[in-house]
Amino acid sequence: MATNKKTHKTLIIGLAVAMIFVLVGVFALSYSMETLDRQAEQLGVEEHPVYEPPFPDYAIPGIDSVWGALAIGVAGTLLLFGVGLAAAKVLRMRKGQKA
Amino acid sequence: MHIPDGFLTPQVFIPAFVITIVFWAICLRKVKLTDKQVPIMGLLTALFFAAMMMNYPIVGGTTAHLLGGAAIGLILGPFAGGISVTIILVLQAFLFGDGGLTALGANVLNMGIIGILVPCGLFLMLNKAFRADGKKLYPIIFVCAFVGDVLAAIAAGTELGLSQPVFQYGLSVAVPAMALNHSIIGVAEGIVTMILIGTLLRLRPDVLEQSPILKKLPIFQNKKENPE
Repeated sequence: MATNKKTHKTLIIGLAVAMIFVLVGVFALSYSMETLDRQAEQLGVEEHPVYEPPFPDYAIPGIDSVWGALAIGVAGTLLLFGVGLAAAKVLRMRKGQKA
Repeated sequence: MHIPDGFLTPQVFIPAFVITIVFWAICLRKVKLTDKQVPIMGLLTALFFAAMMMNYPIVGGTTAHLLGGAAIGLILGPFAGGISVTIILVLQAFLFGDGGLTALGANVLNMGIIGILVPCGLFLMLNKAFRADGKKLYPIIFVCAFVGDVLAAIAAGTELGLSQPVFQYGLSVAVPAMALNHSIIGVAEGIVTMILIGTLLRLRPDVLEQSPILKKLPIFQNKKENPE
């Protein structure tokens, strides 16, 4: 179907752009010092995490390289695509949603 | 703009959670998606997760990232958009520690509610006032995205400023600093949102036509009135 073909093309182009964002984010624009982080640093305010995430700061524990960050970025993007798509499908299938 | 654990006091993060939970309930009740919007929601969720990995240098050695709320909200509508940004923020917090769990309500309030509702509401007002067709469309999209980012930053600054026992700068320092610095990323947000919607308008107008917000554009309204 023409719409399906168009949708696949849109998804491929969109995900390719997302992967470019990941590459730029990992290799060129990875340094992060947000305004609130800078203010916290000046005030001596420290983070007090209430939970230990599996991949802190987008890194694979034990792998101290940009390749770990790249793997996390690629896997994270695909995971978010899957979760976003699944959520949209569930919302679409709800009672009263189908036309 | 992800606030970590330890920066906000319970007097601030608890009300933020309450507002966010009410917003989620409204989103889940009101959201309506079409078949064409389903894959686009997945795509935008992934695209702006990736976009948030890019930290742009702004002023004084600080950085900022895109929020995506304007693009997601305008393309999917505020309710589906709110769910999409929530998915991003929840997974960022749980998997990567980007944004604290106690601050999750505040982060969703800033980026997923204010960052979406402001651009959507502003777009509807400006479209009604100026008829966003031809050359007027892109400046209007830019303004919506820019204002959305700045107000989201002001909200984050307000939350930090109100958490004064921890964040001693108070409102008078935290709010202007966040607003000023994020007005720079607001320009980038405006440009990216214009490019994204402009591209979809050329390649997939059928998707934009289904947006509860962008379907109000004169090009789609005219088409409805004159189907041939």
